[in-house]
Amino acid sequence: MKVCSRCIYDERTPGITFDENGVCNYCHMHDDMEREYPTGDAGWRKLERIAAQIKRSDKGKKYDCVIGVSGGCDSSFLLHIAKAKLGLRPLAVHFDNTWNSKTAVENIYTMLKKLDIDLWTYVMDNDEWNDLARSMLRASIPEIDALSDIALATTLYMAAEKFKTKYFLIAHSFRTEGITPLNWIYTDGKYIDSIQKQFGTRKIEKFPNLWLSRWMKWLLMDIKRLRPLYYVDYRKEQTKQFLNKEYGWHWYGGHHLENRYCAFNHYLLNTKFGVDLRYVEFSALVRSGQMTREQALEEIRKPQVYPSELITEVKKRLNLSDEEYDAIIKLPCKSFKDYKTYRQTFKRLRPFFWLMYKMQRVPKSFYEKYCT
Amino acid sequence: MLRTRVMPCLLLQHSKLVKTVEFTNPAYIGDPINAVRIYNEKEVDELIFLDITATRERSPPQLKTIFEIAAECFMPFTYGGGVRSLDYMAKILKIGVEKVAINSYAVEDSIFIEKAADQFGSQAIVVSIDAKKGPREYEVVTCDGTKPAGIDPVSHAKRMEELGAGEVLLTSIDRDGTMEGYDLDLIRMVSEAVSVPVVACGGAGSVEDMAKAVASGASAVAAGSLVVYQGKNKGVLINFPSEEELRTHNLIPREQ
Amino acid sequence: MIVIVDVGIGNLGSILNMLRKTRVEACISSKVSEIEKADKLILPGDGSFDVGMRNLATSGLLEILRRKTADEKVPILGICLGMQMFGRSSKEGELPGLGWIDAYCAKFRFDSMSQLRVPHMGWNTLAILNDSPLFRNMGDKPRFYFVHSYHLVCADPADITAVTNHGYDFVSSVRKGNIYGTQFHPEKSHRFGMTLLKNFAEFA
Repeated sequence: MKVCSRCIYDERTPGITFDENGVCNYCHMHDDMEREYPTGDAGWRKLERIAAQIKRSDKGKKYDCVIGVSGGCDSSFLLHIAKAKLGLRPLAVHFDNTWNSKTAVENIYTMLKKLDIDLWTYVMDNDEWNDLARSMLRASIPEIDALSDIALATTLYMAAEKFKTKYFLIAHSFRTEGITPLNWIYTDGKYIDSIQKQFGTRKIEKFPNLWLSRWMKWLLMDIKRLRPLYYVDYRKEQTKQFLNKEYGWHWYGGHHLENRYCAFNHYLLNTKFGVDLRYVEFSALVRSGQMTREQALEEIRKPQVYPSELITEVKKRLNLSDEEYDAIIKLPCKSFKDYKTYRQTFKRLRPFFWLMYKMQRVPKSFYEKYCT
Repeated sequence: MLRTRVMPCLLLQHSKLVKTVEFTNPAYIGDPINAVRIYNEKEVDELIFLDITATRERSPPQLKTIFEIAAECFMPFTYGGGVRSLDYMAKILKIGVEKVAINSYAVEDSIFIEKAADQFGSQAIVVSIDAKKGPREYEVVTCDGTKPAGIDPVSHAKRMEELGAGEVLLTSIDRDGTMEGYDLDLIRMVSEAVSVPVVACGGAGSVEDMAKAVASGASAVAAGSLVVYQGKNKGVLINFPSEEELRTHNLIPREQ
Repeated sequence: MIVIVDVGIGNLGSILNMLRKTRVEACISSKVSEIEKADKLILPGDGSFDVGMRNLATSGLLEILRRKTADEKVPILGICLGMQMFGRSSKEGELPGLGWIDAYCAKFRFDSMSQLRVPHMGWNTLAILNDSPLFRNMGDKPRFYFVHSYHLVCADPADITAVTNHGYDFVSSVRKGNIYGTQFHPEKSHRFGMTLLKNFAEFA
């Protein structure tokens, strides 16, 4: 099997190509991003300029930006950068899908208390969420937690509109999280809607879905989406230790274990769809020098570990008997291509989204993945 | 030596967790089972769940929800809301609930408390008293803060103790959801009148407030808004005071 | 298999939940045929003494329980009222207890100036007097949940494995051969209770 000579993506990765040196196109994408987003002094100067711009635009308002928080390492570190280092006045925004772990809520609490940052939470209706989750399972698609991703984006927009800020900061770092191939994870509001219409027992009412019309309204309101961690030499292991020492933050023992529904998505991706998202993370860490290729290849051979009660909890909360759950798992695998999505619309609106990307209202990765 | 019991007091509205202010405007907080899971992992001392619609809607306790909550709890759990029969009490206790809180029915038919104490033991009976400050004195209000009972909390608490109640859950309607501190006068007058433990509820805004409630005579303290909200914006976030904070305010004795 | 004996007086569900969480095989039963096969027994109890003893008498299980504990020496753990029923009698009621431990139950009494309340309700600590396998690996400062108005008074101090203070020291745990008892509720005492039940399953 052909494996990239630099990272650990292999020929199974959707959309992969290799150059004459055996280096994959995702590594080249990473290098392009490295050039576009410098770190070190240059990166810090850029961040300070961005911070100055944010402060100027939101003078007199209670908050100058909103930051999505989950209790995870990335968003916690972003809070530190934004408030303690850049002196911004952020509002922390949390989308609670009602599956938070104790560690997640404790991490959010301790970060916000120590940094004196206010919180706005959108709590999802538990019954509607469970119905949506069952629909996603019955649709037999890999990205059942597209729900949380979409909901967080919508929640951030809602918060930005409500508190009249023009900026929302996202705690994504391509150096640690990488670039996920489109065929592995696809997310859009119409996708969720068409699945719910086909498999759900109720209409979407409380779920903060990102309908295109709604998104257009926000895009035209000039709300900028920024990823400050792109300008920071973000080292995951050191950051975890720093956050623990400085803020009493705790690691939740496994990637995405801060939210058990998200952890279940990872489990399903791995066991049913044969997608191990650790490839994305480890490849990113290899490209940014935080892991050697040999270490990554060794780690990826180890099986993923999930809490033994995870499946029991999922069945219980989603009210699925053992038989119903087993039947769902055995359904043939489907993808976003089997359902109505905004994909064609996004492609047709390519020039518009190119402009939005240039105006920093949508991330570059969205433009590249969804519109080209 | 006993440590002061500090417990979340959570409100159920059908299958959802809510929080009120002065017993009105219930705001959605989240999923009760996930909240219990988190409190259980945090090893909180005890938990109180009150179903605020059961009495108003004259509906019986939701046994399925109670069962699901009890299954997650490795600490004592008190359930209240719509309990009007010994049969229901027996079912609830069998599920894994330690104590049952009776509120409106204790006023409507006080002899029920005596029968329940005889059958299940005083330690399983909590009388829940909601009180409001009237023009001259405090008065008991039932049916989720809507029906004045025409009695004062002190004589009501005394009578309940005589009939066999093992504990009093005393909630100030005026302070509920305000996070401005407990009603210390109310706590003092009821604690002095009875010898069973009194759990203070309504108004907790900090661990310091809890210490003041204990100094006024409460054996235990309950908190609602404090343990489900974070910060001035009241962002929903399940939380609980740390051991360190509780120790600083002497709510945990030194040897523990 | 641990059998949690159901005579209609205990918090059976919580005990089963906790045992399952610690991966100990257990079931709830009120059937002679199932209790017959038990390797160990748990008798939980909440409520008043006479109700407990009456339920036990009418359950049809007295004979099998006596046989299992006295003849087969199967370990049995009495919890709260369950432990109190192992004694000879209680001031709370009229009926005699099982008499497996030489003890009776008395109500907490404090002088009128005392701030202490009855029932003794809440989290308290233990002073371990005699070694018992129940308290192994407890870690730092174990605490347990108590809720009771009466407590055991033992004639033989050798039967007492732990005491707890509520105004005065009272018996919080006993052991006589294969008969174990705790006044507190391990099933409501978080990880401390979990460790205790696991110890009972493994070492008793």
